[in-house]
Amino acid sequence: MNAPLLSLITFLPLAGAIVLIFIPREEKRRLYVTAMIFAAAALILSLIMAVRFDGGEAGPQWVERSAWIGYGIHYHLGVDGISLYLVLLTTVLVPLVLLASWSSIRDRIKEYLFFMLLLETGIIGVFLSLNMFLFYVFWEAALLPMYFLIGIWGGKRKVYATTKFVLYTMAGSLLMLVGIFVLQSAFAKATGTFSLNIFDLYRLTLSPAAQTWLFLAFGLAFAIKVPLFPFHTWLPDAHVEAPTGASVLLAAVLLKMGAYGFIRFAFPLFPDAVARFAPGLAVLALIGIIYGGLMALIQKDVKALVAYSSVSHMGLILLAIAAWNLESLEGAIVQMLNHGLSTGMLFLCVGLLYERASTRLIAAFGGVSRKMPVFAGLFLIAVLSSIGLPGLNGFVGEILCFFGVFAANQVWAIIAVTTVILAAAYLLGMFQQVCHGPVKNDRVAGFKDLSLRELAVLVPIVVLMFWLGLFPGTLLRKMDATVARYVSLVKNREKIFVEADRTTAAPNLGGRKNAGNAEGQR
Amino acid sequence: MTGGTVLAPLAALVIGTILVLLAEAFLQSENKTPLAVISLATLVIAGIFAGLLWGRGAQAFGGLLRWDDAALFLAFLFLAAGAFAILLGMRFLIQQEMNHGEFYGLMLLAVTGLVIMTATVNLLVVFLGLEVFSVSSYALAGLKRRDERSVESAIKYFLIGSFAGAFIVFGLALLYGGARTLDAPALPAAISSSLALAGLALVICGLAFKIALVPFHMVQPDVYEGAPTPVTAFFVVAPKAAGFVVLLRLLIPYAQDGLKKEAVFSFLAGIAVATMILGNFAALRQRNLKRILAYSSIAQAGYMLIAVVAGDPSGLLFYLTNYLFLGIGAFGAMIALGGPGREALDLDDLAGVGRRYPWIGGIFAVILVSLAGFPPTGGFLAKFYVFSAAVRAGHLILALVGVLTSLVSVYYYLRIVVVMFMKEPDQEPAVDTENPAVYLVLLICLYAVLQLGLFPGNIVTLIRQAAASF
Repeated sequence: MNAPLLSLITFLPLAGAIVLIFIPREEKRRLYVTAMIFAAAALILSLIMAVRFDGGEAGPQWVERSAWIGYGIHYHLGVDGISLYLVLLTTVLVPLVLLASWSSIRDRIKEYLFFMLLLETGIIGVFLSLNMFLFYVFWEAALLPMYFLIGIWGGKRKVYATTKFVLYTMAGSLLMLVGIFVLQSAFAKATGTFSLNIFDLYRLTLSPAAQTWLFLAFGLAFAIKVPLFPFHTWLPDAHVEAPTGASVLLAAVLLKMGAYGFIRFAFPLFPDAVARFAPGLAVLALIGIIYGGLMALIQKDVKALVAYSSVSHMGLILLAIAAWNLESLEGAIVQMLNHGLSTGMLFLCVGLLYERASTRLIAAFGGVSRKMPVFAGLFLIAVLSSIGLPGLNGFVGEILCFFGVFAANQVWAIIAVTTVILAAAYLLGMFQQVCHGPVKNDRVAGFKDLSLRELAVLVPIVVLMFWLGLFPGTLLRKMDATVARYVSLVKNREKIFVEADRTTAAPNLGGRKNAGNAEGQR
Repeated sequence: MTGGTVLAPLAALVIGTILVLLAEAFLQSENKTPLAVISLATLVIAGIFAGLLWGRGAQAFGGLLRWDDAALFLAFLFLAAGAFAILLGMRFLIQQEMNHGEFYGLMLLAVTGLVIMTATVNLLVVFLGLEVFSVSSYALAGLKRRDERSVESAIKYFLIGSFAGAFIVFGLALLYGGARTLDAPALPAAISSSLALAGLALVICGLAFKIALVPFHMVQPDVYEGAPTPVTAFFVVAPKAAGFVVLLRLLIPYAQDGLKKEAVFSFLAGIAVATMILGNFAALRQRNLKRILAYSSIAQAGYMLIAVVAGDPSGLLFYLTNYLFLGIGAFGAMIALGGPGREALDLDDLAGVGRRYPWIGGIFAVILVSLAGFPPTGGFLAKFYVFSAAVRAGHLILALVGVLTSLVSVYYYLRIVVVMFMKEPDQEPAVDTENPAVYLVLLICLYAVLQLGLFPGNIVTLIRQAAASF
């Protein structure tokens, strides 16, 4: 564990982006190959990380920590059961997305690949940071590449969509920034030293009033990102205008940053506020589930439909987080993965259709399965995975979520089940109109089935879907310990404190003692 | 220490100024490059002399001239700003048909004034430096003699500058009458009468004019717009830094004094809020690039004022250092983007820059993003320091207003990026690709902005050392 594995995974894409700068823009193939090499290297390293990850350990592994700026700001990375699979999801999807972009991006390829790799670094950094400052830096750094991806390669209303996306996200995250300052200042007052180490901050006991405001500040930033109803309005705009590759990453990973933020920061940092706000959060999540589903039912554009389905599915994830017990939390994390795979694949499929037809209107298609049987088969798997068919990945996550939510509140669970019904209605309805029936028009008649490259994009995702659906145990085993620790971090706050006190000796209620820990080795 | 070395930085500047002015008079050539070379050499030499004084706390004239580390640090900033402005101006002056050698001499003189202004704690000497700077700055603003805007800019700057000068002089008179001293550290103990307090208030108002704080900002956008762009670049950075440092020298002694702190600091907090809100919202409505940046510089002054209110010298110095590169970089990019012969740029003129000229567009984008406060650039870290200092000092409201107005600023900064990268042009953008000096400046700014954002360690050490002398 001597090599800085996590730093390598995080910054290899960035290195790739820098290398790209020096390749002439005309050499399309060389640009792509270079980008792929760096993305693949990050993937391989992250696979090594996943295989060697010790599931019995609750704390972060492969921790890297070095002094950086002062004021408690450290360069501090680590991976645990919560972040492990989110990192993997990112490193798996980016090479596939790059491969998928070969034919869809024709203009300014160099810049496109540059921003894609930059985005990957930002996202991975968000999941691996254990210092609040570093987290915020990556959080914002992931925003700008997406801004350019939508703004340069987007559709007709791209400028409107991308500006809305940035302003919404910034509005939340800037308030979170003030929240970080308040935490920093509170910690300094309590202990006399600075620390933005997330594990130090967990130990900070804040007044209920302070927790309320801080939870709102952090919660807003994450709720906008997720997006939770009623903060979701930027999402359909962004998705509809974004190019396929950006859409995939937006839905599959960027939204997860919000849910991840709730799990890693908002809940464990402010347990008293959670007790007060969890029911409200759950209600918003439920509204999101139903509203997103209903909106998806009436969409004419396939991409908008998938976008609204994201609102619905992310609602379930957030509901599970609000329930906050072992099953629901693991369900939420698994479901994040599933949603990343299934929605990512749905967007890829929509992109393939769009490349052939230059339209995404459901009504423009029909009988696609006759011309593109292989595509239709894979598309169906993605649809079924998104609905949650047993045997595919979606089922495992949803059932865990429902179990967990049911244990917390039966009414929530019963309402939440509508997500499955609604998903079946809008996704199967769409699939039927697009793929079945007679060949609708000449355009569809001219469709060619998937090329080898396109197969190479979709098949790995399908394999993962089956693998996760059939053998979820491997997945869960590696996250059990961490999730259990986080559950107790919120539910049994006092106990944690007692334990912490015992390990550091000296029966002292906070105050000076923590100071040593703050700057000491963790 | 001998008096000679203490005076060396200033002496170098003054001698350089005289040399440049003489050379201009005797050099009949149209080629002004030798003047630029002499000026740059002067600035470098002065910088070396200043570097030799670092950490020694040298004084001269019975303490009237004080080279504490803060003064030296600021001197470096001014010298750098002057050098950047000269580099930006070399080709610009020729293209704008205003190739007057006076530009170089006046620029050196302006730098000299600012250096004097910050290298003292005596308010009379501050005023001396301020006037040296001001007189040369009026001429600089009006350098483009045949352009009405430039002349208007000079007149407005002159009027408002004299106004500010009058405020300060009158304030000094009252202060001296009431307190019997003009040494900033001695003032809190000496001020007993309300007359002296009024004097202090007047001095602060005079400085506020120079820094362009709301409500003393009225004509500044016109000045910034009308002055030749290299001069504007200098104006938004250097005098602001000097004004803030003097303000801090004036107010730091009060930070220990509980009662008076309330009044002065809540007054300044109000001004900071007004400046942030007005500067940002006014920038929102502009379509002219130079005016956007002009209002943006006013808004940035609001953020710097937060550092003063929070009593955080190192935060202020970091912000000023960072803004040196952002201000210079932004106006420098404007010069490059204007192409030969154009100065007033509308937003729409930038369409297509990102596609045709990805390097210059990219550098400008990084600078704009940094102005908006995105990590991992220096702009973010500067705001981080300042806002977190505000929260620690109990000014939560200031931090909140700060981040919310930053959100507003994101819109107008990114709007420029949108036009450069996401709009298709009606006509080819006219970018000046043959201006190595401007590109050099831009590359330095790009490097500095990233260095300050990612690895600020060394510069922060210097800044801490400098801040300790407040």
